[in-house]
Amino acid sequence: MNKHSHKSAYIVMTLVIIWLVLPLLATIIYSLFEDWTGIIPKGFTLANYESIFTNEDFLTSMYQTVLICIIPIFITVLIMLLALFVVTVYFPKIEKYVQILCMIPYTIQGIILSVSILILYANSESFFGNRMVMLLGAYCIIILPYIYNGIRNGMRAINMNMLLEAAEMLGESKIKAFFKVIVPNIISGITVSSLLAVSLLFGDYVIIRNLSSTDVNNMQQFLYQTMKRSSTEASAVFVVIMLITFLIAAIVLTIQSRSSSEKLKETGK
Amino acid sequence: MDGKKRVAKSKLSTYRYYFLIALVPFIILVAMYEVMPLIMLVIDSFQLDKDPSVAFSLDNYTKIFSTLSYQKAMENSLVITLISTGVGIVVAFLGARAAHESHGRYKRFFMAVLNMTSNFAGVPLAFAYMILLGNAGVIKQIANMYGIEFIQNFDLYTSNGLTIMYIYFQIPLATLLLIPAFNGIRNEWHEANELLGGNTAQFWLRIGIPILIPSLFSTMSVLFANSLCAYATAYALLMNNFSLLPLNISASFVGDIKTKPKLGAALSVVMMLMLCIVILFNNFITKKTTKWEGR
Amino acid sequence: MSYISFENINKQFGTNHVLKDINLEVEKGQLVTLLGPSGCGKSTLLRCLAGLEQVTSGKIFLDGQDITDIPPRRRGIGMVFQAYSLFPNLTVYQNVAYGLKIKKMSKLEIEQKVTQMLDIVGLSDKIKQYPAQLSGGQQQRVALARAMVTEPKVLLLDEPLSAIDALLRKNLQIEIRRIQKQLGITTIFVTHDQDEAMTLSDKIHLFHDGKIEQSATPEEIYAHPATKFAASFIGNYNLPVVAEFNKAFQCDFQNESIAIRPEIIVLSKEPVEKTEQTLVSQGVIKGYTPHGSLTRYNVDFDGLQLNADVLFNNNMAFDVDDRVYASIAKDQINCF
Repeated sequence: MNKHSHKSAYIVMTLVIIWLVLPLLATIIYSLFEDWTGIIPKGFTLANYESIFTNEDFLTSMYQTVLICIIPIFITVLIMLLALFVVTVYFPKIEKYVQILCMIPYTIQGIILSVSILILYANSESFFGNRMVMLLGAYCIIILPYIYNGIRNGMRAINMNMLLEAAEMLGESKIKAFFKVIVPNIISGITVSSLLAVSLLFGDYVIIRNLSSTDVNNMQQFLYQTMKRSSTEASAVFVVIMLITFLIAAIVLTIQSRSSSEKLKETGK
Repeated sequence: MDGKKRVAKSKLSTYRYYFLIALVPFIILVAMYEVMPLIMLVIDSFQLDKDPSVAFSLDNYTKIFSTLSYQKAMENSLVITLISTGVGIVVAFLGARAAHESHGRYKRFFMAVLNMTSNFAGVPLAFAYMILLGNAGVIKQIANMYGIEFIQNFDLYTSNGLTIMYIYFQIPLATLLLIPAFNGIRNEWHEANELLGGNTAQFWLRIGIPILIPSLFSTMSVLFANSLCAYATAYALLMNNFSLLPLNISASFVGDIKTKPKLGAALSVVMMLMLCIVILFNNFITKKTTKWEGR
Repeated sequence: MSYISFENINKQFGTNHVLKDINLEVEKGQLVTLLGPSGCGKSTLLRCLAGLEQVTSGKIFLDGQDITDIPPRRRGIGMVFQAYSLFPNLTVYQNVAYGLKIKKMSKLEIEQKVTQMLDIVGLSDKIKQYPAQLSGGQQQRVALARAMVTEPKVLLLDEPLSAIDALLRKNLQIEIRRIQKQLGITTIFVTHDQDEAMTLSDKIHLFHDGKIEQSATPEEIYAHPATKFAASFIGNYNLPVVAEFNKAFQCDFQNESIAIRPEIIVLSKEPVEKTEQTLVSQGVIKGYTPHGSLTRYNVDFDGLQLNADVLFNNNMAFDVDDRVYASIAKDQINCF
């Protein structure tokens, strides 16, 4: 029975891998050749990559993507650290409500969030009517579930209240102890959830399309515009986007496996 | 409680209220960009695009449910969502079980592929499928050369094409969500089943799936939301030339044609209600099927 | 041929040789223990008998039939695992009935058998509870009932009590032995706990490093360990370095190693005559540990330390730093 089930497990995994990798592989090959009309592509070339990396618009969109990914994450991490510290230490009763508020974006997702923010602020003449502010606000909300879970799980894993009491007995104030003892201990959890948030924002198309003005573009939008113009150049943009996504995922996996192997060492298993 | 203690306690509790200041940024952020917008969305859905003086009307809703194009949008959305969720959960079940049964390098590779592709949706996904199965796509050309008819006749730019792409992005997400649940299935249960005379099918039917039901349903509700709200994949493939809830919603706010934000708000509320029903149903199932967990 | 026999069993996991040419026989109706430290191969042998592992070479016979290549579900074997083997989504009743349902017995028959079996293990009042609502000891009793209700040819117990606390464990040991004798079911019990093995077994097979070190009754194995490993694993044998012992007791053992049980060392404050049959030496009490009815003294003989057990007689026989005389009956010393 064992041998049989192992074989079928390999078959299933292989089929899933083929299904998932095939479109990616095809596009990568497409980006590297001049002509792919038969079975075997002809004329290896890096011209597509040359042309996008010399394209001013592409570099701007890359730079803008980085900026609009990183700013909301910093804001949200800081806000959630403060909020969860106070809630877990002083007001455990309201934790439930914080959790609900943090999980709502997970269900409404980008489309509803973006249009509802549009309704509220689009016609405002004030600071809040600024397209960039609206975009950053929406981004802060859409990553809330990830950041919340990352920090919350980290705090649970290290038994924060006990650590804080221990620090207090040593004469440290709770706030100081929080930043000196707790934050360094959960930093890897925060990093992982921040990276997940990066890849979420990096893949966003609907929010930025609905909220931002035309002069702010991320790489997804750039890909959309390019693919209307030239599919070979778009395939190079695609590969760059894919590599960045994979890089983020790879970093997350390494951090996770490192921290889990550390845990195994600690328990001596 | 004696007097001294009470004084000390009340002092501590007034002192702890200072710390509420740290909650203020969170409250402001959530109020301004989550709670208030959603409230406004619901309010707007009861107002009319044509006549701003009307304070409350159900006209938007009656229009949605009586206009053919919106009916079609809801139907398309639900059909594509249900098919991609169904196929996604079945493949994920098999995939997660395979990962659970195997070890070593190939499993790690499998996990890496899942992790890498789980963020892969939207515009890039649509583009990759155009390269593969579009009118001049690679597989199309191979099919033309060998005369494989069902691929030659396949049209990516329809709801079929959309369904295939949705299935693509559901699989890694669903598998990653299910794998931890499979790790909860102990090897001893397999072995006990076998020694008691049961075969693999009997094990999964009587033990495995009943234990996994809560995880299966909560994964399905994530898949449902993920697919119902997916915008970029559909837009990149079909632009606004297809009736689908997210496309219609977005088009009534932003677009070249005349916008209808109040109607769009009502469409959004309908979509939210669909999501709520799924979540409530999921909670109900979870409560029903986890009796054995409690003490 | 015996009821169960293992013939030249070898098992390898990759380059790791876990079972080395095992030959072992079990008589019908007996309870035998496979005893040994963790990683010695005892559980693997059990799992080979159950069919959960394939042997690399060798043959296994059960009730006259070669079962080496038969799948587990057709071997007629009941097994109780270390812990957590109950199906969590089924009630106690459903768990015990599981095997019978698969055999497609009638509802009435199932009900009769399950109720009877739950009665035997003393859990008639827990029929409708789920495993999570039971204590560890109760769970293992349900597991026992589930394994026995299908009337297997042999019952395998793989360290079933290792996750249960000490007091309850003693009770369950007695319980298991009672049920086993009541039903006359051939049982193989795996444990690393020598006390448990002594309490339960008709016969003990002591495992070490993939081989059987000694097969004997509990009494035999206790009084006459066959090897140094057996002596070190069973009881609290003193295993002195032979040269040091020869010097301290002025004798001349030529064996590689010797083993002395603590209770055969007789201590007294008065000088003792050396005879043909006894060895005598003088030492100093270094410390003691009370063990209920007896006290174990640690005695130093010029650098050689030995433990000696003395019955506890309401007061301590000796104090630390007392000078004592020790005598040992020569024929009680085990030599290897």
